[in-house]
Amino acid sequence: MFSGIPSPRSSLLLALVFSPMLLADDLFVDSEALPQILTATRLKQSPAEVPGSMTVLDSELINASGARDISELLRLVPGMMVGNISGNQAVVNYHGTNATEARRMQVLIDGRSVYRAGLATVDWSDIPVAMEDIERIEVFRGPNTVSYGANALMAVVNIITRNPADSHGTRLKITRGQRGINDFYASQGTGWNGGDLRLSLSGQEDDGFDSDRTGADYRDSRRLNRFSLAVSQTLSDNQSVDWQLNAKDGTNQRPYTYRPVFSGITAAGNNSDVIAKDYAGSVRWNLDINPDHSLYVQGSAQHWDRQQTWRACDAEVSFSPQLTELWQLNPNYTEQLARNITRFTGPGAAPGTPAEMALANQVLDQWRNGASRTLCGDIDQSARESRYDLELQDTLSLSDSLRLVSGLNYRYDRADSETYFNGTLDDTTWRAFGQLEWRASEHWLLQGGAMFENTQLIGSSLTPRFAVNYLINPRHSLRAVYSEAIRSPDMFENNVNWSYQVTNLRPSAYGQTSARYFVKTRGPGDLDQEHMRSRELGYNGFFPEWGLALDVKLFYDEITGMISEPLRNNQYIASNANDSRFRGTETQVDWRVSAADRLRLTYAYVDAEASNPLDQQFTARNSGSAGWLRDWGHGWNSALFYYGDNALNGYRFERVDTRIAKRIPLGKAQLQLAGVLQQRLDSEPTTFVDNNYDERRVMYFSAELEF
Amino acid sequence: MRYALSRKMPTAGQWLAGLCLFVTAWLHGVAVQAADILLTGAEESPGVQSFVQALSELRPTDRVHFQPLASLPAPGKLPSSLRLILLDLPSLDWRMQESQGPTTLVLRISRLQARQRFGAAQPPHLSLLWSDPPLSRQLQLIRRILPQARRVGVLFDQHSEFLLKELLAAAQPLNLHVVPQRWDNTHDNRPLQTVLKNSDVLLGLDDPDLYNPKTAKNLLLSSYSRQLALVGPNVSFVRAGSLASTYSDQSDWLAVLDELLDRPPTAWPRSLYPGRFKVSSNAQVARSLGIEPINEASVAAELAEGERRP
Repeated sequence: MFSGIPSPRSSLLLALVFSPMLLADDLFVDSEALPQILTATRLKQSPAEVPGSMTVLDSELINASGARDISELLRLVPGMMVGNISGNQAVVNYHGTNATEARRMQVLIDGRSVYRAGLATVDWSDIPVAMEDIERIEVFRGPNTVSYGANALMAVVNIITRNPADSHGTRLKITRGQRGINDFYASQGTGWNGGDLRLSLSGQEDDGFDSDRTGADYRDSRRLNRFSLAVSQTLSDNQSVDWQLNAKDGTNQRPYTYRPVFSGITAAGNNSDVIAKDYAGSVRWNLDINPDHSLYVQGSAQHWDRQQTWRACDAEVSFSPQLTELWQLNPNYTEQLARNITRFTGPGAAPGTPAEMALANQVLDQWRNGASRTLCGDIDQSARESRYDLELQDTLSLSDSLRLVSGLNYRYDRADSETYFNGTLDDTTWRAFGQLEWRASEHWLLQGGAMFENTQLIGSSLTPRFAVNYLINPRHSLRAVYSEAIRSPDMFENNVNWSYQVTNLRPSAYGQTSARYFVKTRGPGDLDQEHMRSRELGYNGFFPEWGLALDVKLFYDEITGMISEPLRNNQYIASNANDSRFRGTETQVDWRVSAADRLRLTYAYVDAEASNPLDQQFTARNSGSAGWLRDWGHGWNSALFYYGDNALNGYRFERVDTRIAKRIPLGKAQLQLAGVLQQRLDSEPTTFVDNNYDERRVMYFSAELEF
Repeated sequence: MRYALSRKMPTAGQWLAGLCLFVTAWLHGVAVQAADILLTGAEESPGVQSFVQALSELRPTDRVHFQPLASLPAPGKLPSSLRLILLDLPSLDWRMQESQGPTTLVLRISRLQARQRFGAAQPPHLSLLWSDPPLSRQLQLIRRILPQARRVGVLFDQHSEFLLKELLAAAQPLNLHVVPQRWDNTHDNRPLQTVLKNSDVLLGLDDPDLYNPKTAKNLLLSSYSRQLALVGPNVSFVRAGSLASTYSDQSDWLAVLDELLDRPPTAWPRSLYPGRFKVSSNAQVARSLGIEPINEASVAAELAEGERRP
């Protein structure tokens, strides 16, 4: 690994740095020259030094949870609100806000943001990473745009995949269970001199929820396949390259939700399923200039392809040019007319301006003359989004007590959707950030930084962050954090140009087989960023004699200039008019009671207040989890977890998960059999009224062979 | 004139001074005869030079000198009164040509190197002074700096396997549980991952097959990513990112040698770990792992005290 010839400059620097320590003349102190590996720039802060609250879900916990989805794992994070829009659409937000849109959390996979470029959502189920490839998940609970960029408004979920060097050998796993659960995972890892590779293929299938509010079958199953290739290569003793390719292809069922605007329409389509394809590639070049100075350059490209075409049926008058014109004049007036058109056919148009009334009467004439007949056509709600991202990050240890992390980031986002953007829209973002860590004394650690961001569509902003940690000793600290963060409105919120071009119309509308539906919504185009101010007081401690790690925090977060209008195509008028406030406390305890037992508890009390009642929905005032992991010896392991939310979008959620696993050595190979039983303790829908299971219990089993 | 003066009869004081000098020299000669100490090695590096220089300053009455290996006759041809000190493995190979010759002190040899050369047996005319830190001392160091660690992971291969028995014996009274893991192919990370998963700390054996510049990065990054400290195997590794290790440097060895050279060669031990040692630690790594700064001198003193009064 260190066979490469270092550049003359770096060896000079190395010599300068090493010289005071090297006992060159001492015959008895090592003859071999080892480079410094755990350098000041590579070493991370201890939990007590972290300028905020952090939850780490390690591989033991991930494995023991038996979770099949990243979103489910996040139930182990205090204050994290995890729900479902449908079986294949998880919704996750820290502390809350709107239940249908979780847009205020940054989600990274090995440093690459998977936040969708145009529609600013995270499609948890479509992330092209298999659970089995995840090494750990670090959740930074709180805003941290300085370290993670804008959109790290409420929290940052950093998913770290297993190092290819730690993935050698073959793993094969299948999972089968109730609710149509049918997953597989296969990976092969290998190494060579200076390099390692991991290739994995995986798939996931399930039926989603069983029935909607009416008791009818709920159309929300999913089926997907993933491909992932990760390679790391050492170039020389101070340079390495990591690169990854990921792809995901699958189908997410969506129930047919189109409700005709005009009365008397009975024909309908039967689904609005989505074909979801995600592609991502990234390259990262790491350079250790010397033990006190390192940098990396990471470039990534991502593409999200959501193909969603469905058949909609409505009255021919939906495509009337006069109705379209009327909508543009007064959407409220038009909606009243359209929804109640049979009431106006006799008396004529409702009172309004002369222009509105004239157009309304023309529409009514059309209705009377046969435009009330049913037409069906295809609606293409597909969206293709791309992102190219280039980041330079530099870590410089100026002295033993001073460290500077700084960097530059360039991002190009493009969204292409006939329905949402009437074509293509793009945006360019530039960022510069810096954070200084100053160990003022043995006890005081001060950290501060700022980020400057400029986006072409929104404008520029500067966000600061300050944290003070008082280290009682290296394992116990008190902290006070003040941070500001921003979230730039996404292209959808600000620049949506939403209208439906309906094709394959049968029969034709006004003689056309392709026509534009009368509803058209435009984003305001002048939205500002949302601002968050967050204050936090916390304690972090580790008691090695008991194996007990504890973190407690009190927080008070405010979001102003909040864009909280729901994304709907009738009269979508986004504004920065709202605000919300979250305050409360969170605790997490991780206790290795003995070599065989581990207990883990989390609890969050969150009090939410919002100017828009919708933004209070997705906050459980009391939520938490409790887990007990035990190694029984002879290859037997068990885990028991409880998860509870007192009310999430109005519904209680309580579940107990049990996983029992047995490891069986088969010569050099190893077989692991595991069974998971999840038991809901309440009988309420999950997050939304349509999310119901027939049984409160589900079981699935997995077999994994490793050799 | 001056010559004539000196030929004058000495005064009584001068007689007395001369007598004292003679008696002192005679007494000293009885205790340790002014010895001829020959150090040898393949080459006379600056390190060798400074060591020979320091030893000769420490023992002014002895004749301390270095002669490169190439210029030496067969060991059997050397006078048996010679104190022979070997500084490297080529000189050991030279010494092993024949069993005749002076009893020899062998420096800078590890347990593993001795095992590879001699197997379980040990040549009678050699006194082997181990360069690797004693396992019991390293375990005591773990006890001292990581008191909560119970499971001590140890990677070994076919060459270092013989150390396990001794390690297990040393760990038992300390209430430490050794988690041994064979690692024959260092390109395959699975054994490393397995041992890291099942341990609280990793103890490095001085086995260059496992701990070398090619494996260091992987070992240190893998253990660090699990927030696990590596203890040992030597000072180089501490500088690279291992948490701490005990070691003996030139000044320690000089003290050990000084004591040995005072004894007749027949009283030299067959093998010896130096009783004098120091502790080296990596403060940045300790801080990042949430461990208090290690006071190297006081930890070394405590360990030494513990060894004196087990």
